[in-house]
Amino acid sequence: MNLAHVHLLLNHFPTIGFGIGLALFFVAIAAKNEELKRASLLVFFLMALVTIAVYISGSAAQNLLHNRPDVAPGLVRAHEDAAFWALVFMELTGFIAWLGLWQFHLIKRLATWNTVTVLVLSILTFAVTARTANLGGDIRHPEILSEQQSATDDGAGVPDVARSVADFVTGHAWAWPTLETLHFVGLCMLFAVVLIVDLRLLGMAKKFSFAALYQLLPVGMLGFGINLVTGMMFFISTPEQYVKNIAFHWKIALVMLAGINALYFMLVDEPWLVGSGDDAPASAKFVAASGILLWVGVLFFGHMLPFIGNSF
Amino acid sequence: MDFLLRLEQSGFSTWIRESSSLFAFPGVLLLHTIGMGVVVGINAGIDLRILGIAPALPLAPMERFLPILWVGFWVNAATGVILVVADATTKLSNPDFYVKMVFIALAIINLRMLRNRVFRDPLIDKEPLSTNAKILAVTSLIFWLGAITAGRLMAYVGPVSNGIRG
Repeated sequence: MNLAHVHLLLNHFPTIGFGIGLALFFVAIAAKNEELKRASLLVFFLMALVTIAVYISGSAAQNLLHNRPDVAPGLVRAHEDAAFWALVFMELTGFIAWLGLWQFHLIKRLATWNTVTVLVLSILTFAVTARTANLGGDIRHPEILSEQQSATDDGAGVPDVARSVADFVTGHAWAWPTLETLHFVGLCMLFAVVLIVDLRLLGMAKKFSFAALYQLLPVGMLGFGINLVTGMMFFISTPEQYVKNIAFHWKIALVMLAGINALYFMLVDEPWLVGSGDDAPASAKFVAASGILLWVGVLFFGHMLPFIGNSF
Repeated sequence: MDFLLRLEQSGFSTWIRESSSLFAFPGVLLLHTIGMGVVVGINAGIDLRILGIAPALPLAPMERFLPILWVGFWVNAATGVILVVADATTKLSNPDFYVKMVFIALAIINLRMLRNRVFRDPLIDKEPLSTNAKILAVTSLIFWLGAITAGRLMAYVGPVSNGIRG
C-alpha cells in the first residue's frame, strides 16, 4: 500500500463528511438547537483534520502519476489548484469551528459571530471542496469530460496557486529560514500549553483549576495554526522531500491523533470537575500523559525527517 | 584555533558528527529542540499571562513550572555544548552564534528579574500587575524570539558546515 491508496481511501471524506456537517448545521440553525450546532462544528473540525492527510496523500499520488502517458497533466494541475483552495478554506473553517467549540464551554451556547462566520466559510468550503472532488474525478474518469476539456491537455495554461507558492518559497533565499523560525515559534506556543495543561492534570501545580487553564487552549491552537500554515508551505514547496518519507508519514499520523486527543478537553465535561487543589481522575491523567507523548512523538518524527527519511 | 581543532577532531566530536546512530547528532539535536519548547514555551506562557491572556489563571502557581523550565535550560546548555564542540571551528567563528548567546543571556537575566518582581511579590494575584512587569514580559518575548531566530539562522548565515545544518 502506498499513499495513493490512502488518497483513494480518504478523498471522499472531506466532500461527503463536510456535506453532512453542513446539512446538520442548517438544521441546527433552523431548529435553534445548540447541541446540534456543536455537533456540526465537531464534524467541520474533524474534516479539516482529515483534509490535511487527503492533501498530502494527493500530492503523493500526483508524484506517482508523473509522466504517465494515460494521465493528462492539465487535469492533474487543475485538481491540484482546486485542492489548494479547498485546503485553505477547510483549515480556516476548522480553526473557526474549533474557536466556537472552545467558546461554547464559556457561554453555554454558540456565539453569534461564530455561527455567522462558520456558516459563510462552510458554504464556501463545501463549494471549493466539491469542485476539487469533481476535478479529481476527471483524472480517472475521462468519460465524464466535456468536449473542451481535452484529456491530452499539457496543463501549461492551467493556473496553479500551489505551484506559485512553491516558486515563491524556493525562489527567495530568506523564505525557508523565516518559515522555519516561525515553525519553531508555533512549536513553543503549542508545546507550552500542552505541557502546562497536561502536567497540571498529572498532578503538578494543583492550585490551577481546569477552568482557569482552559483559557490557555487558544494559545496552543494558534501555535498549531502557525505550524500548519508554515508546515504546509514546506510541503507544497518541496513535496518530493516528504511524500516518500516514512518519518513524515508518522509525523502526520501522530498530529491527527494529537488533534483528537485535544478534543477531550473541548467535549468531555469530566476535566471541568477538577477544581483548585483537586486530583484529576485517572481517565484525565491518561489523556494528559498520552497528549504529552503524542506531541513529543510529533517533535521526534519532525526532527527525524532528514535522518530517517530523505529530507534536505 | 589549535584548541578548537583538537576539540573538533576528538573521538567524541567525530562520533557526534559522523555516526549514523540516531543517538548521535539527530538525538542531541532533538533534545535541543524539546528543551527549547520547554524553556521558551513555559517562559512565553508566563509572559502572555502577565500581558493579560487567560486572566482567570492565577499567576502564583505558575512558579511551579520554573523547575521544569530550568531542567529544559540545562538540557539545552549540555546539548548546546555538544553541538558546538562537534563543529567547534565553524560554529565559534560564526558571528551569529554570539548573537544567539547574547539573546539567551538577556532572556535569562530577564527571567530572573521577572521572578524577583512578580513571583516574589507578596501581593501577587491580589493587585494588578505593574507596568514594569508588563515591560519585562514584552522584552522576554523579544529576547526569546531573537534567540530562536539567531539559532535557526546559524544554518544559513556565516560559515556553515556541510551536512551539519541543524
